[in-house]
Amino acid sequence: MTVQVFKIPDSFKKDVKFSFCPGCDHGVAVRLVAEVLDELKIREKTILAASIGCSVTLYDFLNVDSIEAPHGRALAEATGVKRARPDKFVFTYQGDGDFASIGLAESLHAALRGENVSAICINNTTYGMTGGQLGPTTLLGQVTTTSPTGRNLEYYGYPIKIAEHVALCDGTAYSARVSLDSVANIRKAKQAIKKAFEVQLQGLGFGFVEILSTCPTNWKMTPSKAHERVRDEMMKTFVPGVYKDVTSDGLTRRMR
Amino acid sequence: MVTETLSNKKVLTKGNYAIAQAAINAGCECYFGYPITPQSEIGEFMSGKMQELNRAYVSAESELAAMNMVIGACSTGAKAMTSSSSCAVSLMQEALSYATSDELPVVLISVMRGGPGLGNIYPSQGDYFQATKGGGNGDYHLIVLAPSTVQECVDLTYKAFYLAHKYRNPTMLLADGLLGQMMEPVEFKEYPYPEIDNSSWALTGAKGRDGRIIRSYAPLADNQCVFLEKLFEKYRTIEKNETEWEEIGTEDADVILISFGSTSRNVKTAMKLCREKGIKAGFFRPVTLFPFPSARLNELASKTKKMISVEVNMGQMINDIRLAVNGKVPVELIHKPVGAPPAPEEILEKIEELI
Amino acid sequence: MEKNFIIAGFGGQGVLLAGEVLATAFMLAGKKVTWYPSYGAEMRGGTVNCEVVASDEEVSAVNKLNTDFIVALNQASFEKFLKKIKKGGVMIANSSLVKELKNRTDINYLFAPITKLAEDLGNIKMANILALGILAKASKMVSLEHLIDALDRVLPPHRKNLLPLNIKALKIGYEYDLLPAGA
Repeated sequence: MTVQVFKIPDSFKKDVKFSFCPGCDHGVAVRLVAEVLDELKIREKTILAASIGCSVTLYDFLNVDSIEAPHGRALAEATGVKRARPDKFVFTYQGDGDFASIGLAESLHAALRGENVSAICINNTTYGMTGGQLGPTTLLGQVTTTSPTGRNLEYYGYPIKIAEHVALCDGTAYSARVSLDSVANIRKAKQAIKKAFEVQLQGLGFGFVEILSTCPTNWKMTPSKAHERVRDEMMKTFVPGVYKDVTSDGLTRRMR
Repeated sequence: MVTETLSNKKVLTKGNYAIAQAAINAGCECYFGYPITPQSEIGEFMSGKMQELNRAYVSAESELAAMNMVIGACSTGAKAMTSSSSCAVSLMQEALSYATSDELPVVLISVMRGGPGLGNIYPSQGDYFQATKGGGNGDYHLIVLAPSTVQECVDLTYKAFYLAHKYRNPTMLLADGLLGQMMEPVEFKEYPYPEIDNSSWALTGAKGRDGRIIRSYAPLADNQCVFLEKLFEKYRTIEKNETEWEEIGTEDADVILISFGSTSRNVKTAMKLCREKGIKAGFFRPVTLFPFPSARLNELASKTKKMISVEVNMGQMINDIRLAVNGKVPVELIHKPVGAPPAPEEILEKIEELI
Repeated sequence: MEKNFIIAGFGGQGVLLAGEVLATAFMLAGKKVTWYPSYGAEMRGGTVNCEVVASDEEVSAVNKLNTDFIVALNQASFEKFLKKIKKGGVMIANSSLVKELKNRTDINYLFAPITKLAEDLGNIKMANILALGILAKASKMVSLEHLIDALDRVLPPHRKNLLPLNIKALKIGYEYDLLPAGA
């Protein structure tokens, strides 16, 4: 007797081929999203507001209804979708530049309004698609193509701690930071994604997960070295954890 | 505000409220907006009415967000709109470019004020280019309807929703501060257009089917060529079916006065003053600014001696008139940079100088 | 026939509302009518005016050079609009706040202590409607019945308790029998 222990998620498109660089964590993150959509059995009521960046072609991988958003506006579009069709499951999948630089207003205001949507933000401390420029999450000292001598305060200021900012918004039901650097952390990441989706399904408000991810191409590292960097450098500034969870805090929010 | 009468169905209504009430009657399910003078009454009216009707209303964090929220709502096939003015409509141009490429039935009310920059809150027609020439990046057009009375604010708001959904193209009602603020008796007839079936494209959640993608992203040049040819074929169809204008006394006219929006009302009277003085003047008012009634103007150019564009800006529509008549007749400009339109007597005086 | 009216005063004197009542009355009388305000960045305290154009046919213009009737509730409005009156037109001025000067000889003047009359009535805020009564009588364009009906329609629900007082003000104005000088 054979037992199937591994399969391509039903929420993936058939013959899906990722266009991500080898070793990039996007592939793992997208797979986790697909697995959670399967487990919650919500593929057929899901509408994705896609973003701009390496995540731009997410709709080519996930077999869900998708609307493309201009750079940074995914949560504005998600708001429009959800307000028009409150019975649908609506989520965004964005990079840190999309979510926390050009789209910071749209992102935080969606959280402040307590929009019943979920957002995934991939934090890889750089603008990946355009070739590794300094972004809102680039670490102090980090060399990028637009911080050739490293991020210094004088020229660039500080990186943003996204999960903490989102947690400060009263409309946020769940905000967590996770990483994909080990099997154990990948499992935790999946639980966080599931939670961020569930709070929406329960009508509790804005669900958010920041995922610390690698960009081996632009970091100019091997995938395993890149994961070491996540552990040794990124996690010192971007500390993983659950920053807000109204279901465990005993806090209650209005149902919409 | 809106007061009903018993003697007839007319109500004395401010342009902004007329637009908002018409949007509600047209079945608008979602309003997203950010305040800006001279159209803030639209959002104020919607905030109360939409909640009362259990429809969606969001005070957006910016016009930029508002237009993207409209895109999100429209992607599900919903009737959705926003309203704004000049410098804030500038903030929506990126999203309008996307919405056109996404072929979404966005409805935008633009109540023009003075520009460029912050300008001022006085009436203006300075956004003719912004409205009719695309406004954002890439090759595209909005459908643009220009009311000249408060009654037309109602009728053309209805039409904006219909055309936006019929052609899956963002559609703009281009009013101005004067129309937004003025009150006139209007009749709110029922929404006169059929509902458009959007089941073939709207995002509903991929129940029993594969996911649909609404996007402008076209990584391959060939795909973009195919799309743009198709988009412009659609514009030719719109031009054939929907071009609308008003004309009076053009058959024997030596000079045809051309004007749109609230300004056209004074121009119509100036035309009558001309006739009283023995000047054979005609009047022509484009109702659709895109599609522009170029073909009709070209016909008229074979019969008349001169055309004069009267605008409250530095001369914008005159470019489209000149393209339409292609050198057949001289086209002159009477203009005022910003503010209420010139009075009929002032227009007459300038006509006499020009002929 | 087409006539146009400007009602002007301080922000807060209710000139926009008076204009709206007048426009509504014209609508009820079956006329074509357009009402439009002057508006600027000021919210309160500045001068405010609105224009009402009423016609048996299509309203000829939304920005008319000259005016048949002007109601000036304060000095600034009187000075600003004096030159706008048509030859033979009527300036109705609030002599409680406006100096009774007749610098133009080609128009009719109707000075009435509108603020004082409203105070005598017991509510200074009735000045706008009282002035409307005077205007209605002077213009012979609109009936008291249509104005009362218009008031009923225009007053918002939370002001409906003031309807009787407004009607009283309207009638005081309407019956204020001061003939225009030179008429």
